[in-house]
Amino acid sequence: MSTEATTAPTRVRDRAQYGLCAALALVGLVVIWDATRIGAATSSNDPVGPRAMPFIIGAALLVVSALYALDVYRGGVGEQEAGEDVELGHPADWKTVGLLAGAFLLNAVLMEPLGWVISGALLFAAAAFALGNRHHVRGLAIGLALSLITFYAFAIGLDVNLPAGILQGIL
Amino acid sequence: MDNISALLGGFADVITPMNLLIALLGVIVGTAVGVLPGIGPAMTVALLLPLTYGLPVEQSLILFGGIFYGGMYGGSTTSILLNTPGESSSVVTALEGNKMAKTGRAAQALATSAIGSFVAGTIGTMLIVLVMPQVVDFAITLGSPEFLAIILVAFVGTAAILGSSRVRGFAALLMGIALGLVGTDFVTGQQRLTFGSPFLADNIDVVVIAVGIFAVGEALWVAAHLRRRAATVIPVGRPWLSRADWGRSWKPWLRGTALGFPFGAIPAGGAEIPTFMSYLAERRLSKHPEEFGKGAIEGVAGPEAANNASAAGTMVPLLALGLPTNATAAIIIAAFMSYGIEPGPLLLTKQPDLVWMLVASLFIGNFFLLVLNLPLAPTWAKLLRIPRPYLYAGILFFASMGAYAVQGQPFDLYVLLALGFVGFAMRRFGPPVLPLIVGAILGPLFERHLRRSLQQSGGDISGLVGGPVALVCYFIILGVLVWPLVARLRRGARGDDDDADDGGDDDTPSGPVSTSTIPNWG
Amino acid sequence: MTVLVGYVPTPLGEATLRAGVEEARRRAESLLVVNMSRDDVLVDAHRAGSDDLDRVERDVAELGVDVEVVRIEEGGDPADALVHTAHERAASVLVIGLRHRSPVGKLIMGSTAQRILLDARCPVLAVKEDGG
Repeated sequence: MSTEATTAPTRVRDRAQYGLCAALALVGLVVIWDATRIGAATSSNDPVGPRAMPFIIGAALLVVSALYALDVYRGGVGEQEAGEDVELGHPADWKTVGLLAGAFLLNAVLMEPLGWVISGALLFAAAAFALGNRHHVRGLAIGLALSLITFYAFAIGLDVNLPAGILQGIL
Repeated sequence: MDNISALLGGFADVITPMNLLIALLGVIVGTAVGVLPGIGPAMTVALLLPLTYGLPVEQSLILFGGIFYGGMYGGSTTSILLNTPGESSSVVTALEGNKMAKTGRAAQALATSAIGSFVAGTIGTMLIVLVMPQVVDFAITLGSPEFLAIILVAFVGTAAILGSSRVRGFAALLMGIALGLVGTDFVTGQQRLTFGSPFLADNIDVVVIAVGIFAVGEALWVAAHLRRRAATVIPVGRPWLSRADWGRSWKPWLRGTALGFPFGAIPAGGAEIPTFMSYLAERRLSKHPEEFGKGAIEGVAGPEAANNASAAGTMVPLLALGLPTNATAAIIIAAFMSYGIEPGPLLLTKQPDLVWMLVASLFIGNFFLLVLNLPLAPTWAKLLRIPRPYLYAGILFFASMGAYAVQGQPFDLYVLLALGFVGFAMRRFGPPVLPLIVGAILGPLFERHLRRSLQQSGGDISGLVGGPVALVCYFIILGVLVWPLVARLRRGARGDDDDADDGGDDDTPSGPVSTSTIPNWG
Repeated sequence: MTVLVGYVPTPLGEATLRAGVEEARRRAESLLVVNMSRDDVLVDAHRAGSDDLDRVERDVAELGVDVEVVRIEEGGDPADALVHTAHERAASVLVIGLRHRSPVGKLIMGSTAQRILLDARCPVLAVKEDGG
């Protein structure tokens, strides 16, 4: 029970939680809407059909989102996850999160055209930069070393799916 | 003893130079990654999963045995050397372990934890050998309705018992089941929640879900709240134990094992409860109760043994029923599935060699762990000095590599990022992560058994309650769901002598006092 | 005016501190002990614990030297931090420890001491590892 959070007399209500409830309800609605779209397909062999489960889960999601909202209304607060490298108590640093997500997306876009060795090295360097690394050359060098090692060990050594991209034939 | 000879057969399969090398590699990599701050055993296993894609099934299972115990042990090193347990199961270890380290007994704390883990792991793995076939014999007689009920127990257990808030647990569980729905229906071939995308028609791979929620979610969460300070390092010598330390440690090891194993074996048992119980027991039984809170070795020995024994215990429902009872077990099931192996009671009858080989490699991994960790502890401690930007960049690097390697589709990387943000939101708002993973893994299985049991009964709902096992399960579920309500009513009936704070009854939400209580359910 | 010592909790750091105390006495100035730790790692071997810094403060004060102990926790670069603090506090001399490094080590790691020697605007006293 997260009641210990309530000892502080001036506790700010965490209204952002309603957003999560709304998201849950939305997912529930989408699941139900998607299920109505499936043609009726029950048979004597399969009396339940593919629609029952989404209906149950969608309805349950709606119920839980309502109960969740009720809990929040009554002052319920979820505990933020602590960790070794996490310092709570500051507002979230959205710039770092955005940069990190950007680095990740860049890799997703570049992976097939450029190949894992290049895109992986860029991902590492860009993510390290986003997280405050100030040694750009070192970041890129470590990234390149990692992507080369993983490419040779996994793609060539163990036949794991990794694209060679424009370096096809060179590596 | 049939089991023993089967196990010896497993050993014979494992003990080849190549396989031993792989087991050693698994232990080293598992421990190294487990020691790294911010990476618990579950994320260790999830991130290292792609390592195994290129290997034959047997060798990847051997690798897993090593990674599993290595990752478990690595986590406790961090909680002893820094007061920051990465996993909820190492919280108790940090209580006394960190105090010991601060008073210059880091080496002893690490030694009792390493040897205790070995003792607990060995006994626990032996117990797997004895218990698991019995459970399989029993489970093999169960039909779909019974399995349906058992899965429901696992659902309700992970959502309602673990974690602090039931409604948040169920929210996570349902999200997981919804994720599991995405893809092509296995009976009719209908597309569900695919929104016309051919990439989603193939279901979202559980590995992608696990890596997204654990690894990417963690990296994004840490990025938002990056700690910008260093801690003082505690120097570590080579771990060793004096005679007196041995004398004070061996009983807690055994008691911890006895507590940990059964809790690991039941659905939703986990390691938190037994480690805490072991701590309380040792404090009560200790001849040096005054040392507790100042670095008592019993307070490290017991909980560490309980932690590892519970890890061994999770292998019983995992191998016998296909039920994951903690996050690491959930990922191991995902690994099995990626090889087309379906864990469950049929596994031991269909592929006994595989199962016994895995058990044998658990023994071997456990042994290597002891041999490696005593001399290497100072080296592991150096890993804590990796700069955070490189560490989390590395996590994202390996996460995207693993997710891509599953199917060779860049599309999975977008799914991975989206799931990363789901994981971020869960860390921000408090719904636990485990129910989501369990829901995603067991959701499809749940639906299969639901449809099969109704097919057998010709659509008659009463077919769901077939046999005593299912009945018992439904009673347990009812008990878990109703208990908080009953407890509250009883407290209400006792009258006003209670704290006003406890009066947050369902039908009397009145005034600012009652809003400060968080009801268990709703 | 003050004598600034870059302190780390190692034998070399203790030797540096001793040299700093001597220098402060010789010049009849106060002593400023600075411990710098990087902000981007979980643990830093160069970060001195609070008890460590308390001990330094006590020991130096017992020797009759006016002492102030500062811990800098922001920033990733000890060289920058020390040079900046020396300038800010108008230090008359900066005392640092100089580790012995192999040529390869120098090439890869760069050298904090080297950066301080080049960047500092006040005299720098470098203490060698072998009690020198």
